[in-house]
Amino acid sequence: MTRGPSTFLAKEARLAFWLMVPTVTVVAAFVVFPVLWNLWLSLKPVTLGDLRGASLFRWNPTLDNFRRVLGDPEFLSVLTTTLLYTVGGSGLSVVLGLAAALLVHGSFPGRSLVRGLFLSPYIAPVVAVTFTWSFILDPQLGVVNALGVQSGVFTQPMAFFSQRWLDLPLGGGVRVRIPLALTSVILFEGWRYFPFAFLFVLARLQSIPEPLYRAASVDGAGPFQRFYHITLPQLASVLYTLFLFRFIWTINKFDDIFLLTRGQAGTKVMTIKVYEYAFGRFDIGAGCAAAMVLFVVLSLFLIAYFRWIVKEV
Amino acid sequence: MASLTLKGITKRFGGVEVLSGLDLHVEDGRFCVLLGPSGCGKSTLLTIVAGLVPQDEGSVLLDGRPVDRLAPRDRDVAMVFQNYALYPHMTVAENLGFGLRMRRVAKSAIRERVEETARLLGISELLGRKPRELSGGQQQRVAMGRALVRRPRLFLLDEPLSNLDARLRSSVRLELKRLHQQTRGTILYVTHDQVEAMTLGDQVVVMRGGVIHQIDTPEAVYARPADRFVATFLGSPEMNLYRGRLVRRQGRTFFEGAAFSLALHDLRPDLADEEVELGIRPEDVAVGAEKSPAIRAVVEMTSNVGSETHVHALLGQERLTLKTSVHTDLRAGSPVLVDFPLDRVHIFHNGKRV
Amino acid sequence: MNREDLETAGVRLLRVGGLVFFTVLVAFPFYWMIVSSLKSLEEILLQPANLGLDFRRIDGRAYYEVLFEHGFAGYISNSVYVSVATVILAVSLATLGGYAVTRLRFRGRTVMSYGILVVYMFPAIVLVVPLYVVFSRMGLRDSIHVLILVYLAQTLPVALYMLRSYFQNLPVELEYAGLMDGCSRVGVIWRIVIPLSAPALASVALYTFMIAWNEFLFAFMFLDTPEKFTLSRGVVQLAESVHLSKQLVMAASVMVTVPILVLFLFFERQLVRGLTAGAMKG
Repeated sequence: MTRGPSTFLAKEARLAFWLMVPTVTVVAAFVVFPVLWNLWLSLKPVTLGDLRGASLFRWNPTLDNFRRVLGDPEFLSVLTTTLLYTVGGSGLSVVLGLAAALLVHGSFPGRSLVRGLFLSPYIAPVVAVTFTWSFILDPQLGVVNALGVQSGVFTQPMAFFSQRWLDLPLGGGVRVRIPLALTSVILFEGWRYFPFAFLFVLARLQSIPEPLYRAASVDGAGPFQRFYHITLPQLASVLYTLFLFRFIWTINKFDDIFLLTRGQAGTKVMTIKVYEYAFGRFDIGAGCAAAMVLFVVLSLFLIAYFRWIVKEV
Repeated sequence: MASLTLKGITKRFGGVEVLSGLDLHVEDGRFCVLLGPSGCGKSTLLTIVAGLVPQDEGSVLLDGRPVDRLAPRDRDVAMVFQNYALYPHMTVAENLGFGLRMRRVAKSAIRERVEETARLLGISELLGRKPRELSGGQQQRVAMGRALVRRPRLFLLDEPLSNLDARLRSSVRLELKRLHQQTRGTILYVTHDQVEAMTLGDQVVVMRGGVIHQIDTPEAVYARPADRFVATFLGSPEMNLYRGRLVRRQGRTFFEGAAFSLALHDLRPDLADEEVELGIRPEDVAVGAEKSPAIRAVVEMTSNVGSETHVHALLGQERLTLKTSVHTDLRAGSPVLVDFPLDRVHIFHNGKRV
Repeated sequence: MNREDLETAGVRLLRVGGLVFFTVLVAFPFYWMIVSSLKSLEEILLQPANLGLDFRRIDGRAYYEVLFEHGFAGYISNSVYVSVATVILAVSLATLGGYAVTRLRFRGRTVMSYGILVVYMFPAIVLVVPLYVVFSRMGLRDSIHVLILVYLAQTLPVALYMLRSYFQNLPVELEYAGLMDGCSRVGVIWRIVIPLSAPALASVALYTFMIAWNEFLFAFMFLDTPEKFTLSRGVVQLAESVHLSKQLVMAASVMVTVPILVLFLFFERQLVRGLTAGAMKG
């Protein structure tokens, strides 16, 4: 038997190795390694002061960091806020994306312009949109409050991002208490990320075969019925997937809330807490532990989601 | 030009053996056709000879020297792909000259060779165009030109005519034959079309399921098929086959079929009482009986294909197809007496010819 | 008018209304950003409710101040440098890696092609603290080049995945033809695969540029000296130092936003294809 074929494959494997090495190195160093480091640090008593010392590498595992995180009086409220923010933000962005896609589907003049425009909240830099919205909703200088007060809709300026609670009169003497800052942040999240859902739903909409609608029309279905019985089922899998992805990305979000509220007024989510531990209190260990807790919560959700979805779909 | 030898080539994909211990030798300057149904592994064999895919066992030799360790570009072999694989982002001239450019041939020499090859194939006016501007036939010529311009030791062609429409196919086929006579290259040509195999090949290799059934000249493969598969694969309409028994009676061997018996020349005595199949090609069936007992058939239907008439008849319970002239008066329902000339009859025992 | 007509008319009305609603919702903040950047401080303070722009009073002073008095000229060049470098590196490495994973046979190939995507799922926050620790220890923290590497690590997985799916759809015979014509594997990549992958490469480039240009968290955490700030970091710095001069912050925001929006407008089709391909995992 000749050895020709094996050197052929060996050469291929060697080339593949060199082609992959840069990518693998960078990703391993800047993603895989930090994740493992995080785990390591979460199990050690580390503060910012320890950074220069050799104590970083000593094996002295402790669960103290986790104890501090889980025992923190704020922990439950942070967890709740995180889940509310994540579910609310993801859900809203998917719903808005669905609505926008339905509106844009089908041809009309100026369509590609509109489609391009609708993507801008997602494309624009986060610093720009957060500062702009902060400004627009600013109690003293913002246009919404100025117009609102001027026209009498608001009795007083509303601090959308810095006020914790708002009593809304619903008429008939009923008042409801909503978490204002959290709601504002969720609304912002919906605004910023709906283009993502919009894109995917639109693509899916355009692949639903036209004959299906025609057949339904012939069978006597009106526009709303057609939507409910044909469009929605076809979109189901995209919507579930979109919600899943947005959930994962929203639960890990830091930038948006940090820039809008710094986590104040009831908008403190877990990522902000990590920042506070590590850079506010200089408690690196707790920061890493909190990040790990967040990761665990996400994993639990993923498991639950896949189990539930697999049953449904 | 070089001779090509394959020794024991075996290739597996997953757990399946796609090629099993193939041996083949093609002499220098010969046109060898690999003929077989789709999926029989012939295209895989081509990629192995080219060096694009390694074989699991066996060896490829060019001019008697093994080339297994050589990369495709070092084997000095050119290939024409089924879908042509022309570089879409290059002009025809650049496509043709690409191989020469890679081998660092001088620019002036490249231009000369490209123009010469283009002239040979009649595509000189197309040199400045891109592949997507060409028709299927033109693209196919460029693909061939790309192989020709390199003057390699061996040409590999993978069903190059299959994407052309029928009329173009026959004219290109003729041109291919003419080209081969002019250039005298060693060619390994893969196809599932028997007409191509018969008209183009000096040597036909009939393959199925990764195994070679017969290697022979086109005439031999047609007239003396080595087994049942080869016999039925070649020839259109298919050869008529009848199951029966060889019986010795009165010192002679007879074929006893369901609807007829036929006296044969003396055959191997060890086959007495054996189950065999008798085959006769439609064009070999003689209409009208001269001897008795005659074989009787009843016409089911006739098809006039323009140059001849195909008559589909029933021989007892079995089918018989025969060819006759367009001026026949055979109609559906008419009885017909036929004869199977003994020199045209094939006997297959356990699938193999005897 | 039967029910169908009524419903269809109702739907059309809804549709127009809905489109108007979304258009205003999406466009207004950008409109406001631009308009505010052209106002003077007095206008901002005294006329917050003014929706329109007084064309006679357009004031470009904000841009001048931001560019030259607040260091944004430098921030722009930093951002351009970082983003372009990230794009060049990401496209190159993703092309090589993507090709390897698609066409070459090697052990661990499946692990690579899917593992690379799993990695993408990890949140930035889990990476920030350890990286901060490591960089501080190694004295690498205040470095633009380290930032480029971090961005590279963030964008490579998706870029590789995007190119992989594109490469899978390229007919392999083209590469075979190249190999037979005398190219090495690398030659095939360079002369055949890359020229034919232009649209996919453009998508990857745009996507990577967007990520690098817009990025905030790592720039915020790792850059200390103002000269090294990228635009995102610079805008935050500016906002913290001026509280009332919103027109400056808006001008800065416009400067960060316009390049990416303009790029996007020009290459909309590529970007959309890139985004959908990139995120359409498995």
